[in-house]
Amino acid sequence: MSTAVETPEVPEQVIEAPSTVATKKNRRNQIIALGALAALGAVPIPFGDYGFFIGQYAAVYAMLGLSVTIVTGYAGLISLMPYTFAGLGAVMTGLIMTGWGWPFWLAAPMAALATLPVSLVVGMASVRLKTLYLAIATLTFSTALGETFFRWDLVTGGRIGWTVASPQLGPIDFGTDLNFYLLCLLVVLGLVWMTEGLRTSRLGRAMLAVRDNELEAQALGINVYKTKLAAFVLSGMMAGFGGAFLAVLLGNVSPGGYQSPVAEVTSILLVSLVVIGGIDRAWGAFFGAISLVVQSQVFQGARFFFPFFGMYSAFFLILFLLFRPGGLVQVSKITTELVKRRPVFGLAVVLVTVALNLGIAYIFIRAS
Amino acid sequence: MTLAINPIEVASFGISAGAVFGLLALGLVLIYRTTGVMNFGHWAIGLVAVVSYAWLTGEGMLPQAALPICLLLAMGAGVAAYRLVFKRIARSNQIIVILVAVGIAQFYSSLAALVLGFRPFTRLPPWLPMATLEVAGMRLRMSDVYTIGVGLAIAVGFFFWFRVSRSGQALRAVAQNREAAVLAGIDDVRYSSLAWAIGSGLAALALLIIMPHSAGQQGGLITTFDLTPLGTLLIPAFGAALVGGLVNLPMALVGGVFFGLTREFLVLAPAPWSELRTSVAAILIVVLLLLRTERFFATRQELEALEA
Repeated sequence: MSTAVETPEVPEQVIEAPSTVATKKNRRNQIIALGALAALGAVPIPFGDYGFFIGQYAAVYAMLGLSVTIVTGYAGLISLMPYTFAGLGAVMTGLIMTGWGWPFWLAAPMAALATLPVSLVVGMASVRLKTLYLAIATLTFSTALGETFFRWDLVTGGRIGWTVASPQLGPIDFGTDLNFYLLCLLVVLGLVWMTEGLRTSRLGRAMLAVRDNELEAQALGINVYKTKLAAFVLSGMMAGFGGAFLAVLLGNVSPGGYQSPVAEVTSILLVSLVVIGGIDRAWGAFFGAISLVVQSQVFQGARFFFPFFGMYSAFFLILFLLFRPGGLVQVSKITTELVKRRPVFGLAVVLVTVALNLGIAYIFIRAS
Repeated sequence: MTLAINPIEVASFGISAGAVFGLLALGLVLIYRTTGVMNFGHWAIGLVAVVSYAWLTGEGMLPQAALPICLLLAMGAGVAAYRLVFKRIARSNQIIVILVAVGIAQFYSSLAALVLGFRPFTRLPPWLPMATLEVAGMRLRMSDVYTIGVGLAIAVGFFFWFRVSRSGQALRAVAQNREAAVLAGIDDVRYSSLAWAIGSGLAALALLIIMPHSAGQQGGLITTFDLTPLGTLLIPAFGAALVGGLVNLPMALVGGVFFGLTREFLVLAPAPWSELRTSVAAILIVVLLLLRTERFFATRQELEALEA
């Protein structure tokens, strides 16, 4: 590229290069963000063990959600397999920890690696396909895995499954709710940080380019097939790693729950939380998981409403897809703009929304 | 599962299972061709009918009388999904379309679970005669014979309706070239709704053939806690639809019979294979996907129009 030619204007946003200059404002924002995160992490404290348990759920679902973020949000591939990979990771964790007696710290990375052969084979066979056909192919493969891998008694522990003990690290026992919550929180924040980093890395920007326009990406010298395959494999490993934590969280892995991605409630819940949070940002999975898990607990608190939660979350999934496809990340951006432009009105809107949410939750729980 | 050795008996099981897959596939193809939506929530819309069937017959209604009501309810559910949701999405954005279809599946299946209540099992009484027929030493189930009959009747009915009737021709026009059809004065939303209604009705009929007749004389059972068997039914249905490249209706029925026969004849296969019905279907589907069957049944222009 010659410098004499005028550089064309870079289109706004979409793919921003990583800013290496730590400006003052940048650093201040980072400190504020860290403070807000610490405050968020402290929210479960007043609720005691119950709060920590909910926190664990949200964190583990966020880990699994990140795999949807990578494959669908970044690379634009529709894959119905993430929850199957999570199940694969969970089953492998059970086998390695209970069957072989290895520690969790070895089992978790091995669970991630165990997804590799499956995701490679499926990916090589199907990532070239067009969106719709890819969806059919992934649906088919995960259903076939439900019939083969998840019925392999030697690995899955048969009908009873595996009982998974909680991890230990020297004197620290992660069996207590607080400790495991902190572990999950740390791990999920690390994974979110990594996934955000992936977005600005060379590979991540290639994925976004492929998602936005395959032909253009190819013209830029990006190997479309390899990029897609990388996204598929990375997403599988992320789900497998999350599956290890899912196994510990559930305490018992039975292979029955991973049969059909379009009929399995948790599988659809993963899609919902990622879409509601914001599908093309890593923080979307994080906040989406918190939002959906907390809401499901509010519904559970109000016994009468609990059976409606499935319809409720599906309703919101569709609503967000129709009107705010960027999810909560997009909503928060819009709201921030509003606050900047009209501070009084904007803040009033934010306060009213928060108050309404808390009020409805309160009424829900009180009414039962 | 009784092990039938006689190949003709196996074939009768296979063709009747195939007719059901064909009906599901027919609905999928009809909806996809007219509105560009591959309905991953197809089974859940059919489930609406199954659940209302369970509820109505549980209240003491005659199964045969409950059947048409349930089909109408499923049609309503399908049309509602189209009018309220799918009509508003650009079909060029297939990712959103598929995610929404998954959401629709979740919505209707949790609605169905709500109606079923959290009982371990709900019984579904059969509505087809459950007798067995003895022909030349072979035992054929009457329900299979009727299922094959229903499949044939629907195929013939569709054929004439599409060729002869005005509404059938209008529907075909919308499916082939939406813009030209609209210019010719055809109300595309109306005919797309019609396609959704028929497609959903076919899904309901298919599930109502399978579910209440799965366990012989007692009828069938359904449980709120495990609806996955319904979700896995989509696999052979997608396979059948792929035989017709997702766009050809008669080939979808043929594909259904092909997948049904394959599934039932696996019973005769050696030990590990006879259990792997879905996996064998999966292998066939991958082959069909790699063959890119759609190019045999639609022009490039038509295929582009499907997603534009």
